[in-house]
Amino acid sequence: MTVIDAQGLVKRYRTGGQTLYALAGIDFALEAGEFVSIMGPSGSGKTTLLNILGLLDTPTEGTVLLEGQDVTGLGDSKRTALRKRTIGFVFQHFYLLPTLTAVENVEVPLLLDSDPKVTKRARRLLERLGLGDRLDHKPDELSGGQKQRVAIARSLINSPKVVLADEPTGNLDSETGRQILDEFRRIADEDDVAIVAVTHDDLVNEYVDRTVHLVDGTIGRERKNGR
Amino acid sequence: MAGRFFPAALMARRNLTRTKMRSLLASLGIVIGVVAIASLGMFGVALQYSFTQNLGNVGNQLTVYPNSGENITELTERDIRTIRREASPTATVSPVKTRTEPVSYNREDAVREQIYGVEDPAALYEAKEGRVSPFRSGALVGSNVAEEHDLHPGSQITVNGTSVRIRAVLEEGDPFSSTNPDNRIIMPATSFSQRGYSEVYVIESTGTRANETAMGIRDALNDREERVFVQELGSLVDTIEEQFQIINTVLAGIASISLLVAGISILNVMLMSTVERREEIGVLRAVGYQKRDVLKVMLMEATLLGFLGGIAGVILSVGAGLAINHYAVGDAMAVFRLPNAWYVGAAFTFGVLTAIVSGLYPAWKAASEEPVDALRG
Ligand SMILES: Nc1ncnc2c1ncn2[C@@H]1O[C@H](COP(=O)(O)OP(=O)(O)OP(=O)(O)O)[C@@H](O)[C@H]1O
Ligand SMILES: [Mg+2]
Repeated sequence: MTVIDAQGLVKRYRTGGQTLYALAGIDFALEAGEFVSIMGPSGSGKTTLLNILGLLDTPTEGTVLLEGQDVTGLGDSKRTALRKRTIGFVFQHFYLLPTLTAVENVEVPLLLDSDPKVTKRARRLLERLGLGDRLDHKPDELSGGQKQRVAIARSLINSPKVVLADEPTGNLDSETGRQILDEFRRIADEDDVAIVAVTHDDLVNEYVDRTVHLVDGTIGRERKNGR
Repeated sequence: MAGRFFPAALMARRNLTRTKMRSLLASLGIVIGVVAIASLGMFGVALQYSFTQNLGNVGNQLTVYPNSGENITELTERDIRTIRREASPTATVSPVKTRTEPVSYNREDAVREQIYGVEDPAALYEAKEGRVSPFRSGALVGSNVAEEHDLHPGSQITVNGTSVRIRAVLEEGDPFSSTNPDNRIIMPATSFSQRGYSEVYVIESTGTRANETAMGIRDALNDREERVFVQELGSLVDTIEEQFQIINTVLAGIASISLLVAGISILNVMLMSTVERREEIGVLRAVGYQKRDVLKVMLMEATLLGFLGGIAGVILSVGAGLAINHYAVGDAMAVFRLPNAWYVGAAFTFGVLTAIVSGLYPAWKAASEEPVDALRG
């Protein structure tokens, strides 16, 4: 089943009389349970694409279908509600809230709903990611890999259809990176969650189903993994 | 757990404890503002209270004078009868004659003094020394006169060349009352040759009755011409109390300037914190927080700052109020009177409101930031 189907995406920025094409016509479809990596040089439009797929940003041209629904023209409030329901983000710099414990950080997306089951679910997610003994630690008491795992748990708390990760292994050593990638693979296979990871790290490509190469806002050659 | 039911409050509280010193200083402004408003308000109330205490019970008195503007110099027996008729049966009506005579004390040179002629001084005055009634001859003197000239019952003064014996020194009167005897020499009305009266005191049982009587007297005597002028001390008291009200309001107004300053400092703190937390707020928006959710969290922080400062301010204000009332009224417990509660409550409310209003702009700014921009770093 196709979770996201983006057609003819164009993102234009006008700066000081110049027009810059961050994305210059991109088609991108994502199946449930698929793990896709996006690679490309700096400034090629990776983050821009991820933001548009995650309903954080809107394309200048083109359409985005989320589970068959056209979400291109939606306003901020509707997009925000959809993000909350269907999308999980893992940010490059983790962006955990320093004042909250690991469990509370995982709860954050659903914190305002006052649902008593959320805390239990957050604990289970952290335990599954091997952080059962770090539940009540603040981010500054956690290592980089542990923080990243908390961030992954947070992206999963709302049972998303899609997880979008920007450089998820960027700050990690290869050992910790592998743990994280194993985790993504498992989430994709077991929970049928589609995962898009922007990366510069070739390690990632050992785990993904396919890799999309971006060059100057267009899709370059695509490589299917023989998995 | 509070965080369960007020998750926004949980986040807000944690954020405030992140920069404890800064939050403390920001709410200190609110503390000062609340204390300033509350204690200046309570100071005004205490001032007013001690004034009314000194004023004593004058609201039920009225004084009728002949209207010299209409060339009426004295009140006749008929006027007195009318006044007695208008006054309620239980009222004390004391017509007073006056004349000016050369008076000498202790064989010094005579000075011209006003002499008051009162028929039944026992109805108005009590003696500090000696006896007021019976009063057929001699003179009564007020406490200031007695003190100045060292007079006691039995002392002699000379009035218009005749020796007069002091019968009594009178108890001090209310300072604002027109019957106040402190500076007066009083002699029996029978010793006066003129027939007319220069003023009439009416003392009713209540202020309302005094007011009704005043209107009755005006109706009866000022029918064709303005014969008399009726002075009601009650309305004078009202006027003075209105003045106090104005003073109180001005004081509270001055104190609110400190709240303004407090508001600006909260605005500043919140703006700093939105800049510092730009990315965090971007994350919140990315994971599905609506603009109004971010607004809620930020406003909750401002509200908490306001409550914190407000509560501390109220506690300090009550302490300050105890001291103010101890010194101004002589009764520290007088702080627990209704008008004080009003000022403390108003100060608290203004404190919290100031914090919330100051938080509005930073909260709005934080909420309206595009998450994509915030997260680009
Ligand atoms: N708000 C903006 N205004 C103007 N130009 C922008 C804006 N956002 C992005 N760009 C431009 O769009 C292009 C693509 O940016 P993007 O962030 O997607 O690159 P990226 O592939 O993620 O790069 P990196 O690997 O360095 O993160 C860049 O040239 C960037 O300068
Ligand atoms: Mg990028």
